[in-house]
Amino acid sequence: MVSAVEPKTYFLPRQDLAKLLDRLHDGGRQVIGPTIRDGAVMLDPIERVDQLPVGWGIDNAPGKARLVEQHGSRVFDQPPGPSSWKRWTYPPRLTAFAWTDAAETDAAPAPRRPKPVPAKMAPQAFLGVRACEIAALRVQDKVLLEGPVVDRDYAARRRDNLIVAVECAVAGGTCFCTSMGTGPEVRGDFDLALSELDDGFVVRVGTDAGRAALEGLTLPAATSDQTAAAAASVARVRAQMGEPLPMDGLPDRLMAAAESPRWAKIAERCLACTNCTLVCPTCFCTSISQRSDLDGDGASAERTWDSCFTLDFARVAGGNFRTRVEDRYRQWLTHKFGTWWPQFGSSGCVGCGRCIAWCPVGIDVREELLAVAPPVAPAADPPPIAPVAPMPSIVPSALTLPTPTAEGPRPMPWRTVEVLDRRRETRDVITLSLGTDDPGLLAGRPGQFVMAALPAVAAPPISVSRFHPDGLELTIRAAGPATAAIVNLERGDTVALRGPLGRGWPVELAEGRDVMVITGGIGLAPLRPLLDHILARRDRIAHIHLAYGARTPGDRLYVDELDRLAASGVIDVAQTVDRAGPEWLGRVGVVTQVIDRIMCSCDRTIAFVCGPERMMRATVDVLHERGIPDERIWVTLERHMDCGVGLCGHCQLGRYFVCKDGPVFSLAELGPAFAVEGL
Amino acid sequence: MLGTRHASAHRPRVGVVKFASCDGCQLTILDLEDQLLAITEKFDIVEFAEATSNRSQGPFDVLFVEGSISTPEQAHEIVQLRRQATMLVTIGACATAGGIQALRNLADHDAFNRAVYPQPQLIKSLATSTPVSEHVAVDAELYGCPISGSQMLELLTALSIGRRPQLPDEAVCALCKRLGNPCILVATGEPCLGPVTRTGCGALCPSFGRGCYGCFGPKEAANSASLAAWFGTLGQSDEQVAREFAKFNVNAPAFRAVVEAKR
Amino acid sequence: MQNETVNTPDAELRDRLAGTWLTHELDQSARAELARIGRLVRVPAGSILMREGEVNDVMAIVLEGRVSLRMRVPERGQVSIVTIEVGDVVGWSAMVPPYRATSTAVALVDTELAQFDGPQLRKAIATNTDLAGQLYPVLLQTVARRLEGTRLQLLDLFSQRWVEPW
Repeated sequence: MVSAVEPKTYFLPRQDLAKLLDRLHDGGRQVIGPTIRDGAVMLDPIERVDQLPVGWGIDNAPGKARLVEQHGSRVFDQPPGPSSWKRWTYPPRLTAFAWTDAAETDAAPAPRRPKPVPAKMAPQAFLGVRACEIAALRVQDKVLLEGPVVDRDYAARRRDNLIVAVECAVAGGTCFCTSMGTGPEVRGDFDLALSELDDGFVVRVGTDAGRAALEGLTLPAATSDQTAAAAASVARVRAQMGEPLPMDGLPDRLMAAAESPRWAKIAERCLACTNCTLVCPTCFCTSISQRSDLDGDGASAERTWDSCFTLDFARVAGGNFRTRVEDRYRQWLTHKFGTWWPQFGSSGCVGCGRCIAWCPVGIDVREELLAVAPPVAPAADPPPIAPVAPMPSIVPSALTLPTPTAEGPRPMPWRTVEVLDRRRETRDVITLSLGTDDPGLLAGRPGQFVMAALPAVAAPPISVSRFHPDGLELTIRAAGPATAAIVNLERGDTVALRGPLGRGWPVELAEGRDVMVITGGIGLAPLRPLLDHILARRDRIAHIHLAYGARTPGDRLYVDELDRLAASGVIDVAQTVDRAGPEWLGRVGVVTQVIDRIMCSCDRTIAFVCGPERMMRATVDVLHERGIPDERIWVTLERHMDCGVGLCGHCQLGRYFVCKDGPVFSLAELGPAFAVEGL
Repeated sequence: MLGTRHASAHRPRVGVVKFASCDGCQLTILDLEDQLLAITEKFDIVEFAEATSNRSQGPFDVLFVEGSISTPEQAHEIVQLRRQATMLVTIGACATAGGIQALRNLADHDAFNRAVYPQPQLIKSLATSTPVSEHVAVDAELYGCPISGSQMLELLTALSIGRRPQLPDEAVCALCKRLGNPCILVATGEPCLGPVTRTGCGALCPSFGRGCYGCFGPKEAANSASLAAWFGTLGQSDEQVAREFAKFNVNAPAFRAVVEAKR
Repeated sequence: MQNETVNTPDAELRDRLAGTWLTHELDQSARAELARIGRLVRVPAGSILMREGEVNDVMAIVLEGRVSLRMRVPERGQVSIVTIEVGDVVGWSAMVPPYRATSTAVALVDTELAQFDGPQLRKAIATNTDLAGQLYPVLLQTVARRLEGTRLQLLDLFSQRWVEPW
């Protein structure tokens, strides 16, 4: 797309812009460009030059963007409007995958399988891409093309994308690209770049594809006066933007401001309307919804733009991790300007200023950043225009993340597996045994999970509760319609799995140590493969203690297995329940009080904890009292997951994506993230 | 949940009943012309006066209730109906918020009565028009004035298949942005209730350049005070701001608070 | 207590007290004083140590075994709310007015206890400020831990009520 080509500079007379537009349409290309619609500059398909915003300007301020007629023939003198190129590279609505219909024959219905929807897209040319927007495309490329999983639709749309950049000649009232180091100068990553002068455009060629678009136009080379005028034009814009904001150390300051009272103040004004995130050219959060007809036929999964400001964003079965608007605002701002750095190596913000203009009540992030994370010392001189220094990388753990294969990042396909057996553990918990020969699924590690999809119903994340040579087990609590549907599957039914996903338990670290496994309720399920693993290597582990809490005796999982383990003496099993009737002769009380009494050499103990977060919190406190350090306390977290591969954004916790950086974390890695409310 | 993935011989018994309302929500169900036959195959519609002469007093697996509670009779009847229904779903702004007739909650009902009727003592109506949820437990709500046909269809599909109905509680703005509508508030300075109103209508009015009327009621965490203050900075008087919020969902707490503060 | 009582010299009880987490940090003289007041008792499984609502004259420390505390809920019968494990206290109510048991204590297995007569212990504490100064903090700790655990139980973190209709 962008190759290293020696740029040459031409001059395109104003009246010839139409010819360039024609050339851009060559080969069936769709040209997207700015146009005035309903009082704003929108990015729509453009056929003719008179559809461009000729003679228009925009007066931008927080919460305001009014058209201003300028009575000239200049085309591109507007700041970005509410529409961004994201609309055309990462569409608001997309069918992610579809399902085959249930066969209507007398024979047993064929299992319904997911089928990918081919990405078919006419090649696109983007006309009028500003410097900040080029930066935004680079930011989204990093997220969607360079992670462990590639967004295939985005890749297809970007592959043949012709970028005709435009260097801004006016600064918008809310622009701050100079503070983010992204503009206003267009420096690279374009096929052609236009700088508008009064009588035409200085045209820079960036790539062979760009050069090809100029063929036949026989443009004269730009004169030195013309190039000087272009440089002066953009220099004026830089000057118009005034002093850049003090961005030094902003990510650190932001992440340290988690408990600032300012967030609550912002929430007094914030409407949680999602406008800022949806106009933002780098926000990438989406959600998956199920579509089908009344019978469940024609089933598909649709991906739509979502936002961390919606209530459902952090919903899980049985609760919601982020309900307060102040917590949602904090998530957005600290992600955009702070945790984006360790995640993707740059700031998430490019300074386009859309979120400021298009906030219905005019909340200005520039102001809020300075208020919530003020600079430590006032800058005497304006800081140099450069991106903020990158954050140190994540504390390295003993594990490595799964690396992409030689063929490139894995596409994470769905695999159809069959239900071999169904076992009731408790009143509302079932263990399904699933059969498969897929080597990927069978090579999972303890602590990993799968997304389990039923057509037209849902695709929730579920921990694997045991691995077999020929399949795996899922232990599921019927907590809502999705899990209820899965729990009701019978022998012979099929379900589609995607995985194994996530980072599992660091089983290697258990060797030579005492192991404490502390869990409650259904939390035992993701720990069972860990127990399987260390019991198979019993001679390499010192003492093993299992502390297991449940609501009542009837709510315990794997009762027979646990009793056998306890009787064998191979591990020390302590069970407890919250309440019981008189027939229960075992322990009644919280599991944290069981830990108190475990004899251990706490300097060589490693603890693995899973349960409701409040229980894990209480457990961690007791482990600390026993002298077990954060590096040797490992927890597994639950968050809302729609994709399981770090692309939908829902599962974020501080700098981490729980689905791909976790769900297993050490307390040392989590740090304060584990303790801050609503993070 | 009603739905199972396997074919069931028992079609759920469905009823549609009406209290104080215009009947538009029931009409919206009938407007699902392409799916009506499929719906009747999946559900046994035993009571729906607008659609069929078959009548039933219950029991119902699902009972859709349109209309607000406006008379003593209705207050009594809804309690009886609740007993007959396994699942009760309110449909429309009247049933979920009290409707536009709830404007009388902020005014002097008796004075209206006396002004209009020569023998006001013959009129038995309550001083307030209230949503069904203030009288009985409600299992689910479909908002809107009228409701959205596609949301009704989604609810019926979810009941039929056994999935969580996808009825997002997000601002109209989210849909405007997905559709590519420029924001009316920001681009023109005209008032629009979209940022505090639930989506469901398909962002209908903003798609035609007119500010949102708030037909689907306040979204979760609706910060109407903030939006009302902003309308003020756009040049609207307190009375104008109050009128913006005093429409179909005037009795919904988040909107009512603004009306009472600005009156 | 009726059942099998073991008459021991104070020394054995003093040594046992040195080993329980509740009392091992008390100094020699405090432990000696407790040993003087207290006695070792062994009870078989099923023994009732105190009854909910009745006057409770005995505070005990579990040395071996397990004691279940139960409360009577008329619609549900006896509900076990917590089990007292080795080293923990049964009957702190003997130290706090109105000296009534707040639950029924039942030995789940054969259990050995260090028992202290309530009135005697209260008198000793009233006169021996050194003993009081050492004993009250550990009693407070025990009740505090009990309260913390109760709160976590109260949160009902494993509740199945967290089921969505949708």
